[in-house]
Amino acid sequence: MTAVWAIFKKELRVTFVSPLAWVFLAAFLFLAGLFFYLGIASTGTASLTIMISNLSIALLFLLPMLTMRHFAEEARSGTLELMMTAPVPLWSLIVGKWAASVALCLMLLVGTLLFPAILAYYGDPDWGVITASYLGLALCCMAYLAAGVFSSSLTEEPVAGGLLGVLVLLPFWIAGTAAEMVESAPIRSVLRELALQTHVASFSKGVVDTADLAWFVLLTFGFLFLTWRSVESRRWR
Amino acid sequence: MIVAHKLTKRFGGLTAVDDVSFEVGTGQIVGFIGPNGAGKTTTMRLLTGFMPASSGHVSVAGHDVFESPMLARKQIGYLPETPPLYVDLSIGQYLRFIAEIRGVERSQRTRRIGQVMEAVGLSGWERRLVGSLSKGYRQRVGLAQAIIHNPSVLILDEPTSGLDPKQLVGIRTFIQNLAEDRTVILSTHILPEVEALCERAIVIDNGRILADDSLDGLRDRVGDGVRYRLQIRAHKNVAPAVGASDAVSRVDDMGAEEGVQYLQVHASSDPRHAIAKLAQDNGWAVHAMERHAPTLEEAFLHLVGDER
Repeated sequence: MTAVWAIFKKELRVTFVSPLAWVFLAAFLFLAGLFFYLGIASTGTASLTIMISNLSIALLFLLPMLTMRHFAEEARSGTLELMMTAPVPLWSLIVGKWAASVALCLMLLVGTLLFPAILAYYGDPDWGVITASYLGLALCCMAYLAAGVFSSSLTEEPVAGGLLGVLVLLPFWIAGTAAEMVESAPIRSVLRELALQTHVASFSKGVVDTADLAWFVLLTFGFLFLTWRSVESRRWR
Repeated sequence: MIVAHKLTKRFGGLTAVDDVSFEVGTGQIVGFIGPNGAGKTTTMRLLTGFMPASSGHVSVAGHDVFESPMLARKQIGYLPETPPLYVDLSIGQYLRFIAEIRGVERSQRTRRIGQVMEAVGLSGWERRLVGSLSKGYRQRVGLAQAIIHNPSVLILDEPTSGLDPKQLVGIRTFIQNLAEDRTVILSTHILPEVEALCERAIVIDNGRILADDSLDGLRDRVGDGVRYRLQIRAHKNVAPAVGASDAVSRVDDMGAEEGVQYLQVHASSDPRHAIAKLAQDNGWAVHAMERHAPTLEEAFLHLVGDER
């Protein structure tokens, strides 16, 4: 656990000394503000549904940029050799890195709490729905970041790692769009189950379903496990 | 402390390390020498457990590097070929991170960081950003991270590359002091370094061990062995008289210049005392008598050249 904590602190420190975190913060808050405004302007209700669903898509493209350095940079600069010969199990390196990105995202989400506060000032929002929506968004972040960490372990080129992250996640979004176009009912239901939108949607309606929770947890652990396999396989090359 | 047993590492069709076995005990500094691409770095990576061997095994302080990696790794300090640095951290932050992941006790960390920074000559540099350091200083930070947990085995891959001559002397003395109660394996292609630091060297080329011997033992492998070079001023040719001496096995006449005769003498033991006596008896003036051992370089080229 000491190692996870040490890696977690180191990653956050490195993120905040680079301009990346700050550019990211600005971009994220700008988008969140925009979606919030558009949501209110188009529906006229005190709800965050539009903002949350749009953010869940925007983050799919943004978050891999946050994780792209993780393993790619370490492989390139030779520090991976340090980490893999240190008395630290590989999983703690992966979890430490992932957790640091999650912490950063949670900070971003805390930043957007301004919007429900505005809603509460001018209207009467449903706090249950808002809490569930935020939970959904946080779960989304965790899964995206796990996918991002995984794709950064596939290459030594950070930018390639970032793009791969998007490519890895896109099918889960496309599945949702495709489900609406498919004729066959069984395929449609499978695609719906795979689709990101389905699971985000229930959270943003205020429904916290164990099936949706499980979907995100499974996705997160799945990608973290793949990361472990991928980094471990480097040893054998 | 380190036992490598029949290590082989293949990358696809290429055999980078081929049936390598050796042992290094505590208090020894062993030089691992070979031309570029000989398999030095791969061997270091097998020893540290960064890569698994295709066959064979390594144990460090009694722990198999692949069976019980965490125990073995705790005993190892490793400086890879490129110092593994996080350029965005300060030296102090970097070493603290290393101390944490290497399992240095919380209460000891600050003290250990101070000690190693002093040892490698970085005192007062805690706040300098690692990324802003020159190559020599990066190398020192790399050494500092390798020793912060006080490991019993040090594996250093070209530890002095990029150091200036003054730093070189400092770091060599430092490595020598470290070796007192540790095992040090030093990979390098800089032979004077091996001569300055090691009693023993392992010569590797094309992934195979060509020789594993003391430095003197390696030098003795050069055909001619030890020679003695004489400069003697005398009225007549001294070579026959020197050659007749019991202490001398062979004399090469190397010519004369301004009345001084140059000879090269081969002998099984140091013949200089006998020759001095001979000179005294015959009234020769001895200008010089030098022992000339083959250099490690000659020995190395001899070994590696043989192979190719």
